[in-house]
Amino acid sequence: MANTNKMIFAMVAGILYVVFGILKMLEGFGIETGLAESLLIPGDFFGGFCFVVIGAVFLYAVKELSAGVHMGVSYVYVGILMSLVFMAVYLLVMGADLLMFYAVKSEDYEGWRIIDSMRPGIYLGLLSLIGYFYWKDRFTTEMTKV
Amino acid sequence: MEKKKITIALAGNPNVGKTTLFNAITGARQHVGNWPGVTVEKKTGKRTYKDTEIEVVDLPGTYSLTAYSLDEVVARDYVVEEIPDVVVQIVDATNLERNLYLTTQLMELGSKVVIALNMWDLAESRGDKIDTRKMEDFLEIPVVKTVANRAEGIDALLEEVVREVDKGEHHEHEVSYGDDIEKKIIELEGIVGKDSALSGKYPVRWLSVKLLDGDENILEKIEGSSVATQVNSVLSTIKKDDYEAAMAEKRYETINTVLPQICVKCVNEVTFSDMIDRAVTNKYLGIPIFLAMMWAAFEVTFTVATPLMEFVDMFFGWLAGVVAQSITNPVLGSLLGDGIIAGVGSVMIFLPNILLLFLMISLLEDSGYMARAAFVMDKLMYKIGLNGGSFIPLLMGFGCNVPAIMATRTIEDEKERLVTILVNPFISCGARLPVYLMLAGAFFGRNAGTVIFGIYILGIIVAILSAKLIRGTVVKGKPSPFIMELPPYRLPTLKASAIHMWEKGSIYLKKAGTIILAGVVFVWLLSAIPAPGVDAAFASEEILGTEDSLIGVLGHIIEPLVAPLGFDWKVAVALVFGFIAKEIVIGSMGVLYGTGEDEDALAEILTAGAMTPLTALGLMVFTLLYVPCIACVGVVKKETGSWKWTLFMMVYGTALAWIAAFLIYRIGTAIGWGL
Amino acid sequence: MPHVLPLTMMPEGKEGKVVSINAGQGLKRRLVEMGFCEGSLVTVHRSERGALVVVVNGIKYALGKGLATKIMVSDC
Repeated sequence: MANTNKMIFAMVAGILYVVFGILKMLEGFGIETGLAESLLIPGDFFGGFCFVVIGAVFLYAVKELSAGVHMGVSYVYVGILMSLVFMAVYLLVMGADLLMFYAVKSEDYEGWRIIDSMRPGIYLGLLSLIGYFYWKDRFTTEMTKV
Repeated sequence: MEKKKITIALAGNPNVGKTTLFNAITGARQHVGNWPGVTVEKKTGKRTYKDTEIEVVDLPGTYSLTAYSLDEVVARDYVVEEIPDVVVQIVDATNLERNLYLTTQLMELGSKVVIALNMWDLAESRGDKIDTRKMEDFLEIPVVKTVANRAEGIDALLEEVVREVDKGEHHEHEVSYGDDIEKKIIELEGIVGKDSALSGKYPVRWLSVKLLDGDENILEKIEGSSVATQVNSVLSTIKKDDYEAAMAEKRYETINTVLPQICVKCVNEVTFSDMIDRAVTNKYLGIPIFLAMMWAAFEVTFTVATPLMEFVDMFFGWLAGVVAQSITNPVLGSLLGDGIIAGVGSVMIFLPNILLLFLMISLLEDSGYMARAAFVMDKLMYKIGLNGGSFIPLLMGFGCNVPAIMATRTIEDEKERLVTILVNPFISCGARLPVYLMLAGAFFGRNAGTVIFGIYILGIIVAILSAKLIRGTVVKGKPSPFIMELPPYRLPTLKASAIHMWEKGSIYLKKAGTIILAGVVFVWLLSAIPAPGVDAAFASEEILGTEDSLIGVLGHIIEPLVAPLGFDWKVAVALVFGFIAKEIVIGSMGVLYGTGEDEDALAEILTAGAMTPLTALGLMVFTLLYVPCIACVGVVKKETGSWKWTLFMMVYGTALAWIAAFLIYRIGTAIGWGL
Repeated sequence: MPHVLPLTMMPEGKEGKVVSINAGQGLKRRLVEMGFCEGSLVTVHRSERGALVVVVNGIKYALGKGLATKIMVSDC
């Protein structure tokens, strides 16, 4: 059943986003988690909160789907859309950093590398991108008609 | 034995799996060409089923057969003129209502129809239960379940097609249009039937129905016939628009009476919009989702704008350099350099910020999410005596309060509208942001973002409390009934959103070019005219922006008013000019501290002792709350139509600002913070 | 037996038929313009917040609770 796939997807994405969100919030408070460097997690309280929200949306999907509520897939779709929005946001931020480095040549950006702008929002977003293309029909046909 | 030859046509809405089914039936035996005379692709294929050779024609995908588009004309002409033995309509089982609309039209055409109920597995997994037996009974059309992408049900479909051809007799199932329309149909049938060329080629009832439907294509056909004048005289007695709508309604009515009986749950068609709504209006997740979306919008606005602001900054730096080099007249040079370029430049630098914020708001509006935000916030709005309808105008205030106040026109209840207007200026507009950015950047370093965010929150809190206060005292009343359409979601296009951004953002640009320009020139003039009794030349270096200029005199007059807040005379002057436009606060501080449009230099001077973090915070809060800019006051007067309320807003805000800044300064000093 | 009840009492996902609108002339006319006529079918999508989400004639509306209590429907 397609729903089992969606449930597993939502479970994985939900846990990832909640965990990363909490890590971001902790780092934002200045609590060293030790994972910041290896996972490229910036300290950012509000950004972390947003991640927890996305994770919660995915986990809500798991809750409804496991209870046999078919409409629970809505939460999977919305979770995917939201994580894609955030992926776009972080990619734009990366673009802004690129401009600051190459065009503005700002002093603050000395020694900047593209990896410095790599954020969990981008690589976690890849997961949702896969989900998006896997369930593409639902997104494209429904969003364009009406 | 001689093989029998039949022709079938595949009809259906777009995206119902028509092409997939066509491929599943014909396999590789296809021929792709064009329909005669037009560029619409025509696909035909062959298939031998048992002892019948079947020619399959794939018609263009259409929603109806009203001849609004070329595709529809092609499909219809084929069905009417070539008369295929059977028309197979592919019906999307997940969207019966809309698909059956085409079915009713095919039935009216008098074709032999077989329905391929495609994607029924999807419908079933969604929880719909479709009774195909009942469907056959009601429609008097054979129905076969298919899953085209897995090639399921193809043989059963062909079996049914062959049987239908052999059946010979044929039911004409008609949509009944009600007495009034039926009378006209019969009248027209009588007339059209007299022309044998027409009635030999087309079903007479169908022609009459289409004529009443206002079908251009059929009207043309009638025009050249022998009955043209008679038909036109009948048509001239009716109101065409009314008939068109009424007839479409009747068709849907027919469908809707049948639908509940053949399908359980299909009536409440679940669209993708419904699915999104299910999540974003969730009891627990609705508000967090809204906050997350807002955060995303603000993150883009502030971070992405940084390099763009650097570009604007570079441009004005270059311009200032050019002016300094080419203009030798000291007075003119000072006016251009210290006055206009410094003033306008310090304002224009925030253009990327403001445009991006408007772009984000436009994207949220165009996607359809904004209406949901209003729904989600309705409960909170209700608590402060307003309703969800007031929410969007308040949110727009983050861009600019002027269009936001104009947007309150959608609020019907006069009292609610008044309150929404009165508290709108507390929502921190884009023009106040430059002040926060400069001050917070200079005094709070890494925490600048948090401080600015806090100022925005403070604005929201003040707006909420003020609304509650005003609603409970001077503008009493219960919240009015709230009703708002939630349009279907659509993917916003960058182009449309950019246009909307421009509509709102150009107000800002216009302001920069007119009011702000005039304002900074005025500030410069005042700072360049020597104070009475001072012996210095107009616009000379030693008096520009000092206490020896006219502006210094003015500043000292009003300084006592703001001295309890820890502000000096330069800040006092800057705040007075902030009434012209809030951005000018920074621009005129640049002029007064003699740093021009160089913000880093201004920040340096301020942190070096001209201000403390405490007074900086006080100034930010004061800027947030005190009397809004002149453009905003103007629009409040225009929209409320009352000087009384306009004055009330100005006095209330300024009093609040004074008290807040006073408390910050006094309490802060008392606990020894920020000295 | 169909029950007649205010729209706010309808469970989510249920469809009902509008029986009467107990509102003043102005409000009633406005509701009728938006498709809430006597006899039209209303589906409740959400009712757990301060406001309801309902669908009438394929158009989705956010509807305040106060207003929703004035619309009487029969469940079918």
